Amino acid sequence: MPKIRRIFVFAVFTLLAAILATRPALAQVDLSGGWLTKIHEDENDRSGGPDIGDYTGLPLNDAARLKADTWDAEESEMLDHRCQQPPADYAARGQADMRMWSEMDPLTKVTSSWNMLYAYMLTQRTIYMDGRPHPSANAPHTWEGFSTGEWEGQTLKVTTTHLKEGRIRKNGVARSAQATVIEYYTRYHNVLTLTTVIKDPVYMTEPLVRTTSWVVDDGFDLKPKHDHCLPTESVPHPDGYVAFHLPGKNPWLSEFASKWQVPFAATRGGAETMYPEYQMKLETMPAPPMLPAEK
Amino acid sequence: MSAQIRSSTTGMMTGKNILGEFFSKRLAGQFAAVVFLLFGLGIFSAARAQGRAAAGAVPVTPKDNAAFDMTGYWVSVVDEDWRWRMLTPAKGDYISVPLNDAGLKIAEAWDPKKDEADGNQCKAYGAGNIMRIPERLHITWENASTMRMDTDAGMQSRLFHFDGSKWQQGATPDWQGDSVATWEKRRGVKGGDLAVVTRHMRAGYLRKNGVPYSENMILTEYYSRFEIDGQSYMTVTSVVEEPLYLRDRFITSGQFKLEADGSKWNPTPCRPLWPRAPMAVAPKQYR
Repeated sequence: MPKIRRIFVFAVFTLLAAILATRPALAQVDLSGGWLTKIHEDENDRSGGPDIGDYTGLPLNDAARLKADTWDAEESEMLDHRCQQPPADYAARGQADMRMWSEMDPLTKVTSSWNMLYAYMLTQRTIYMDGRPHPSANAPHTWEGFSTGEWEGQTLKVTTTHLKEGRIRKNGVARSAQATVIEYYTRYHNVLTLTTVIKDPVYMTEPLVRTTSWVVDDGFDLKPKHDHCLPTESVPHPDGYVAFHLPGKNPWLSEFASKWQVPFAATRGGAETMYPEYQMKLETMPAPPMLPAEK
Repeated sequence: MSAQIRSSTTGMMTGKNILGEFFSKRLAGQFAAVVFLLFGLGIFSAARAQGRAAAGAVPVTPKDNAAFDMTGYWVSVVDEDWRWRMLTPAKGDYISVPLNDAGLKIAEAWDPKKDEADGNQCKAYGAGNIMRIPERLHITWENASTMRMDTDAGMQSRLFHFDGSKWQQGATPDWQGDSVATWEKRRGVKGGDLAVVTRHMRAGYLRKNGVPYSENMILTEYYSRFEIDGQSYMTVTSVVEEPLYLRDRFITSGQFKLEADGSKWNPTPCRPLWPRAPMAVAPKQYR
């Protein structure tokens, strides 16, 4: 018995020595501070709101198109959607000035989580860094989801599951509750770039990879936007009213194509539309009818 | 560990006794040997690297010292700003670009036919916008300290110099300018990023519809690589500092996907109105 114990202790010490000799540094980059969003891309989507029927550049399948086609913009005015916060993967895309900070385990003094507070609706996220597992598939899904993080070199990689069904574009294009979201936070001096990868087996034919950037603001003062949401209807509706369009009955779907002279087939999205060779198809597609002239 | 722990066989024991039993002289010797061996190996490899550098026998070049492998064929993934990138936007469609009054005036005078007649059909294919064009990239090492990036769209070539600027005083600026590159790596951390600063570009467009940048523009780019389910992606964050025509830094980021080979490589000249002519002017509320 003592011999076995000696061998065990020897093995443990040897392993420890090997780990100490080869271990890379952890948590190398400080992401903490105030970050100002720069909406220099996709401004319609991220700020004022995209046109109805604009699915350009998204790897959607037919189920996603059907869902988006039947969406009614009035939905956001309904009482039960009025104060709905943006889901974790969409929060960074909008009015997303944010503060980031880390928390430390009081005992080990190791970073236990990274946290974000967004100006819009004061949406908060926690990313656990302590290696805890994701909960069971049957655990509740939330707007924030369940996020764990790890460092990959100089980049913080975050994996999020357990999200409620949300949106990837503010015109009814949905991301399902079965999606997994992978995020990479990379700091380049005073610029922070987030690469978001959404893998959705329900609504997408391939992962959606998007990037979003912020600049550091040393004197950052988080100014809440839309933080005192009142659950009231701005337009009265009868009790039990549900905002929707029946399939094939949405009259607004072709407006975007006509307004910007984008071939209608291209506005329907799909993975094919994301790659350069699609331009050869665009060249030959018929132009949509023009909208009536503005008065 | 507390000074006293309970042993199933001997009852209460002191920490000293435990060490005495578990850590005999022989065992301590073996442990020390392993530790010395590990540290010895570390010192040996560090000394070998220093020796190589000092002797100049095998200098560590930027190519050898790459934070990640950027070489290969990469294709643009156009899932952001689709309308402005896949099509030529209409005159007046400048949304999200922080143009100042001088920039707006130049953009409003955009005339693609005149550009072609003047030999300026590549104005939207300069370094300031080339990474936004739907395209394929072919990235190689020109030599141990120069990375080369070729594009099929517009058939442009960029050279990233890791050994400093190659700009000659008084030279004429060209579309791709003079790029100085640096691997940004942290000590003891695997991987890293590539930073590229480009100056001395010929004046061009940030968008195909005439959004201008001047020869005074400074472009800073950061490249990173990610692996997602066995597929490699490269992202580039571009920071445009344009003193004449913008009122703020213009920051965009894009993504590229690694392809297995160059079978889809399709060189085409600069085409200002490809793939179809834009509508005459943008709707009023977007101007």
